[in-house]
Amino acid sequence: MSDNNLLIRDIKNRFFWAILVRHAIVGIILVIFSLAVFLKMDVRAGLYFVAFVAVYNLLAHVIYLLKKNYELWQLLLLSAVFLVFDISAVTFLIYITGWIESPYWFLYLVLIVISGFGVYSYYSFSVFIIAVFSAVFYLGLLWAFYAGLLPVYRPDLKLTPQEMLVSISNKALFTTIAFFLFAATIYYFSKLLSEHRRELLNKNQELLSALQELKEIDRLKDEFVSTASHELRTPLSLIRENISLVEDGVVGEVSSRQKGRLASSRNSVDRLSKILDDLLDLSKIERRFFDVDLKRVDISRLAEKAIYFIKPKADEKKVQIEGKLRRGFVALVDPDKIFRVFIILLDNAIKYSYEKGRILVGIEDMGEWIRCYVSDTGIGIAEKDIPRIFRPFVRVENEVGGTGLGLSICRGIIELHGGKIQVESKLKEGSKFIFILPKGENNDTHSRN
Amino acid sequence: MTRILVIDDEPDMVSAIKLRLEANGYEVIAGKDGPEGLNKARMEKPDLIILDIMLPKLDGFKVCRMLKYDEKFKNIPVIMFSAKVQKRDIERGKEMGADAYITKPFKADELLAKMKELLGEKKSSAA
Repeated sequence: MSDNNLLIRDIKNRFFWAILVRHAIVGIILVIFSLAVFLKMDVRAGLYFVAFVAVYNLLAHVIYLLKKNYELWQLLLLSAVFLVFDISAVTFLIYITGWIESPYWFLYLVLIVISGFGVYSYYSFSVFIIAVFSAVFYLGLLWAFYAGLLPVYRPDLKLTPQEMLVSISNKALFTTIAFFLFAATIYYFSKLLSEHRRELLNKNQELLSALQELKEIDRLKDEFVSTASHELRTPLSLIRENISLVEDGVVGEVSSRQKGRLASSRNSVDRLSKILDDLLDLSKIERRFFDVDLKRVDISRLAEKAIYFIKPKADEKKVQIEGKLRRGFVALVDPDKIFRVFIILLDNAIKYSYEKGRILVGIEDMGEWIRCYVSDTGIGIAEKDIPRIFRPFVRVENEVGGTGLGLSICRGIIELHGGKIQVESKLKEGSKFIFILPKGENNDTHSRN
Repeated sequence: MTRILVIDDEPDMVSAIKLRLEANGYEVIAGKDGPEGLNKARMEKPDLIILDIMLPKLDGFKVCRMLKYDEKFKNIPVIMFSAKVQKRDIERGKEMGADAYITKPFKADELLAKMKELLGEKKSSAA
């Protein structure tokens, strides 16, 4: 059905173009005629022709505007009707410009070309029908002339009936053959083209529906994620609470070995709910539903806060965190989200550091932008993995646990702020995560808060 | 004894919370849906209400608002307690007059601390 829609739209466009071309022709001829009138030439006959074209073209325009959704057959019928009008117009032009002597019979050929590649290009065979129409009209005109049925516009044409008959038969034979030869040629090329175009249309349609399907799948995925995370949370909280009820001895004495097992279960539940949170956030980031609460804050404060927050974890592994921070990097950001980015990057840096490793956090001014980095002296990332690590659920070799979502969330948050994040890394030497953030409007870089 | 009303449609959740609260010296009454919770709140006048959001018949937001609009009950602290973790749900809870919002899965310590805080405030404001 939608395949038809594309076809209908295309044919409608072609119909409209034909209307515009006729308007243009009428306009141009009127300009020429006004010049001719200025030169005191008689253009009355020509005016009839222009009036005829202008009137039926206006009719076509009105019909075009009348209804938005024409059926395919209606459009084809309309095109056919106005093509017949065009053929009549050409015939009329030939009539007023000298019957058999008129130079304008080639316009029939032009019509065959236009219709073959234009409105009827999807139905290549129609050029023959147009050729037949043209021949009938033209031969009809010649016959009417011979039989003296119409007033003669060119009284200067004075031939004997004998001469006239020979001339007319020659002309009739020649033009008819010309029409059909021309139609056959156009048919051949038009067919080639239209097959091509049909193929393209079909491909286009396939692509469109594939895209639609993908979008739908994507939406379902996001919906699934948010529903699932909500539905999973209730049983998860029950498991957690029951474990901790037992662990805390509320329902009876528990040995320390049992307590150890329970604590480990509880930690797993906590990790599970962390994954749920991350998944939900990620799906919100991807749907652009993430609420961003923008404030003007000093990024260095956020970095300091994150370092302070993560320090116990670093101390555990004897990793040293050094902040190359000074105040004055104010930007319009969501502080909680950027804090989270620092936490995720620092957490990763600690996780992938060797014992007694070193982590460096820095912020630099780049004019319109603020550039932050977190570098470590850890295990690094293999070159082949670098393009993948910001994708969700990508895990690289040497992974030490984690949800595989942290970096995707980082990228999502940074991109929501209009920034960019990237990584430079060498295996066994360490990684450096760099992100840039726009300062946002009114760059009061040196304000201290 | 301090009486706590727990409104949650999940019986297991109610029993778990009940165990925890009773172990900490609270008396617990339970309501399994919106209207029943509202009724119990009005009849029993608890000292604090723990209120789930996704409830049958009448959701937690509405229960909360109805209580908070009522002069006689608006001083009872309400803790919204839900698996809904989106910012807009939390904000809506605040708009409906909830005194606190705790997301599931919850940590018992957090819940107890919050309760203590709210009950303490209530006492000091009553005094």
